[in-house]
Amino acid sequence: MNRRDMAGLVAASAVASPVLIGAAYSTLAALGLAGVGAQGFTLDRVIDTIGSAETWRGVAWTVATAGAATVLAIGIAFLLAVRLRASRMGQAAAMLPMAVPHVAAALAALLLLGQSGLLSRLSYGLGLTSVAGEFPALVYDRTGIALVLTFLWKELPYLTLTAMAVLLSDTRELEEVARTLGATPRQAFWRVTWPQLWRGTAPAIIAAFAFLVGQYEMPALLAPSDPVPLSILTFERASDPNLARRGEAHVLGLLALTIAAVLAILHARWLSRVEPDRR
Amino acid sequence: MNRWRDRALFLALLAWVLLPVAMLAVRALAQSWRFPQILPAATDRLSALTLSTAAGDRLASALAMSITLAAATGLIGTILGFVIARSAAGSSQLFRRLTLAAAFFTVIAPPIALGVGLQVAMLGVGLGGTLVGVLLAHLVPATGYLTLFAVGVFSSLDSSLEDEARTLGASGWQVVSRVLVPLLRRRLGEALILGGLVSWGQVAITLLVGGGLVRTLPVELMSIVQSGDDRVAAIAALMLSVPPMLGIGLLTMGARRTGASV
Repeated sequence: MNRRDMAGLVAASAVASPVLIGAAYSTLAALGLAGVGAQGFTLDRVIDTIGSAETWRGVAWTVATAGAATVLAIGIAFLLAVRLRASRMGQAAAMLPMAVPHVAAALAALLLLGQSGLLSRLSYGLGLTSVAGEFPALVYDRTGIALVLTFLWKELPYLTLTAMAVLLSDTRELEEVARTLGATPRQAFWRVTWPQLWRGTAPAIIAAFAFLVGQYEMPALLAPSDPVPLSILTFERASDPNLARRGEAHVLGLLALTIAAVLAILHARWLSRVEPDRR
Repeated sequence: MNRWRDRALFLALLAWVLLPVAMLAVRALAQSWRFPQILPAATDRLSALTLSTAAGDRLASALAMSITLAAATGLIGTILGFVIARSAAGSSQLFRRLTLAAAFFTVIAPPIALGVGLQVAMLGVGLGGTLVGVLLAHLVPATGYLTLFAVGVFSSLDSSLEDEARTLGASGWQVVSRVLVPLLRRRLGEALILGGLVSWGQVAITLLVGGGLVRTLPVELMSIVQSGDDRVAAIAALMLSVPPMLGIGLLTMGARRTGASV
């Protein structure tokens, strides 16, 4: 290995080491060898947590809500990018939610979608409901409607701006060539624009999905207590008054890191397919 | 027809992005907002953003804590990100990709999962529940973001100026201080903002590593929302949202001037 590659290895290690150190501590804590409540080597925490239906219900609910928001965001982001790509006002408007931190967005969702929120008040004003409790529970509900909408509100800007950037940099000339060669606008869209959009935005889609799977603040304020989302379950275990249960937080943390690692590998593979020769 | 459809789409987008922010603003301004009022009563409106002394002190102290952490994270994260990206830039494609993948992983790793591991690590070295411990924990995702950012910067940087400086006898440090830093001044400024923004929104890591003792603005906001005081929460949410709006505005202006995309 030459000196430059050694520097590259040090660089990669420097970025990865805090996560690896954290994961190593979590592994030790999950096995009862470190952390609060450690009482010597045991596989009980791992077996109990992995074998628990609550864990997998939480994982499934987390993936389902994050997936639903990502699918909605892809569709709307592509629509906005195609229709408003040339509009600076459109780009500026799309960007605004990026500035609002997740916890503030969750509060706004409570004020809008809660049973005494603005929608419920409008419903009352229109005579559709006669008390706040008659308004459908969109917050803390198992369907996760408020959470999915808030996820969508926060992630839409990222995907929209990425899709707009792809369309502005990669596809305009190709579309024009296709039209010059006789393609109809519909053909140019499906044969040129659509594949380019997918190719260019796939890494951002994977990243957006991963962010949502790992989100803590929005589920903490908007999700139901059953099933418990993975991030909330992890936090509950990490702060459990019963110290013996705290090790379970580390098993759940490692589970979440494994999901993130799979997504990071997918992301890296996609990038190497998109830019195989980039140096 | 298409133009009208695009205008309708733009207006729908505007309503979608502004409505939640407007809700926060209205709630922050109204002393009370009882169900089923659509808008707060005139007598309750425009009470200005006044707070009790206790709530004001609590938010001011949390704001100071957040600003300190964001500034330190931005500064240290920028240095780390650029040094790491610089080392990666000179290596082979394999190591560059490894660095990118590692940086991406730290960015998408769930903060709660990072937090539980780092919590044990910080407690082990006596930094649990301290500002320094939280700063080190914030630096983990921030360095990931800033490494990705700096890799992009170096990939579009013309290295001929550095080569010329070296040919003229400049030392490594002189190349950095006299060529690279002046050349990358704007990008370093953007990185400082980006690093600060990453720290600004952290909740899970702060709660776990700070052990509830390091009270940043988002951590305070979280507990105020959970306590049910909507008005103080809305004021805190606006205080939390304004600096990122300014930061993203500055980043966008910089990108437009240089013709880059954010």
